[in-house]
Amino acid sequence: MSDGQEGRDWRDFLVGLCGVTMILFAILTIIYRAGTLDALNTLRDLSPMLLTGSPQWGPLRGGFSTNIQISLWAMAISLCLGFLLGTGLISRYGSIRLPSVFVMNTLRNSPWLVILYAMLYAVPYEIGIGRTTFEISPEVKAIIGLSLPTLANIAEVFRAGIQSIRAGQWEAARSLGYSSGQITRLIILPQALPLMLPNLMTTYAALFIGTSLVVVTGANDLLAVARVVIGSGAEKYATAIYIYILFVYFIFSFPIAIWTRRLERQVRAGK
Amino acid sequence: MSLDFTWLAVPHYQRLLLNGVSTTLQLSLFGLVLALFVGVAGASLIHWRVRYLSPVLTTFVELFRNTPSLVQLFFLYFMLSEMGIYFLDAETGRRVPVFSGFTCAVLMLALSNGAIAIEIIRSGLASIPKETVEAARSLGYSRWQLLIYVELPLSFRMTIPLMANNIVSLIKTTSQSALIAVPDLLYAANVIMSDTFRNAEVMILVWALYLGIVSICIQLIHVLHRRARIPGYGQ
Repeated sequence: MSDGQEGRDWRDFLVGLCGVTMILFAILTIIYRAGTLDALNTLRDLSPMLLTGSPQWGPLRGGFSTNIQISLWAMAISLCLGFLLGTGLISRYGSIRLPSVFVMNTLRNSPWLVILYAMLYAVPYEIGIGRTTFEISPEVKAIIGLSLPTLANIAEVFRAGIQSIRAGQWEAARSLGYSSGQITRLIILPQALPLMLPNLMTTYAALFIGTSLVVVTGANDLLAVARVVIGSGAEKYATAIYIYILFVYFIFSFPIAIWTRRLERQVRAGK
Repeated sequence: MSLDFTWLAVPHYQRLLLNGVSTTLQLSLFGLVLALFVGVAGASLIHWRVRYLSPVLTTFVELFRNTPSLVQLFFLYFMLSEMGIYFLDAETGRRVPVFSGFTCAVLMLALSNGAIAIEIIRSGLASIPKETVEAARSLGYSRWQLLIYVELPLSFRMTIPLMANNIVSLIKTTSQSALIAVPDLLYAANVIMSDTFRNAEVMILVWALYLGIVSICIQLIHVLHRRARIPGYGQ
């Protein structure tokens, strides 16, 4: 059975990839008509700039590589803080649970762009510890701004994952003499983590797609580089460049989406 | 640090904020209606397995779900303004672009959240028990009647929580239209901040306004969810 499913995943993946490539290419030809080849050549020449931020494929100074770095840092931070907040969400004590729920809802219901703008003004340009001052780069602000809504999402995933484990597991473990901490660490988490994995991947995909917004903090991401490139002589190919950006994001996040779907099915089948 | 909200007393800023709120609400409303329309039409076509059309629609759904809405917005804005479709204003004789920033933002919301709506409604359609569909068929319902009277209402009622997420995300996404100079709430905030330099206060107020709009919407959906619950289903 799993072979057939796996085959279908591959088919979905290839169909989606080819289909989207064809659609984007069709739009490109409709817009540029005879100039399509020129547009493609321009995109090829601009690729190193857009992907790495430097004209010769390196060093990594911006562009798409910055998006990937920001997303990984933000994910690492959100995983730690999200699990912490998630523990607060399932706390027995109302004095911990209610503030946690409030923080989670507030962060989840605010637009990401507003949070990023708020970080732009809330986080200082530099902080001094003793004599040395650390400059806070726009990328760090972007990481903080993206971590806030993401950690709220992860907290909610964590809560749902823990609470999907049957109460019988707790009771059985307690009757065997395990302490609360031991039960969580040895019995609940090993069962709950695989259940959370698909949702965590969805959260990462959303975070990755959200990194397009960091352009407002002044980070040198893909969109920022694209705007500079368009402003310095490539106005004619603005549409082509945006099609290229759509394609780059798609290539990165579509495999994650397909993989998530597969994991989800496996989790459901294993239940 | 002390917060100073005296700028709120200036009528000019009040008007900016009110206009911003109203633009945000309009964007959400138009975007929501169009996204639901896209969702229902797309999901029905995929559900019926219309030849040639449903694979294309599935591909569109994948494209819009896996790319940032901000890039979609910029893309639409640049492409549509480059195509240069104008209409002549009869009174002033000026050329007015058909696709203003507002239209582009609404289109973006309709497409990107519509793609998610397609997925949601389609999953609802797929989860309707076969017996229900067969019963309706044996009562002589045509394909259209089956869809309109049986399948779509059930699908909507079963997927309210998912659709609520989509609607909340749509309202949050409207803030991105500020980046193509649509005068929505975030844009008004930027104008006021560059005038008064009261960044913290303006940001807090705007954040609270967005939270208010989203919370009211969530409460409305809660009420709807309670009313529309299918008795005995899913418990």
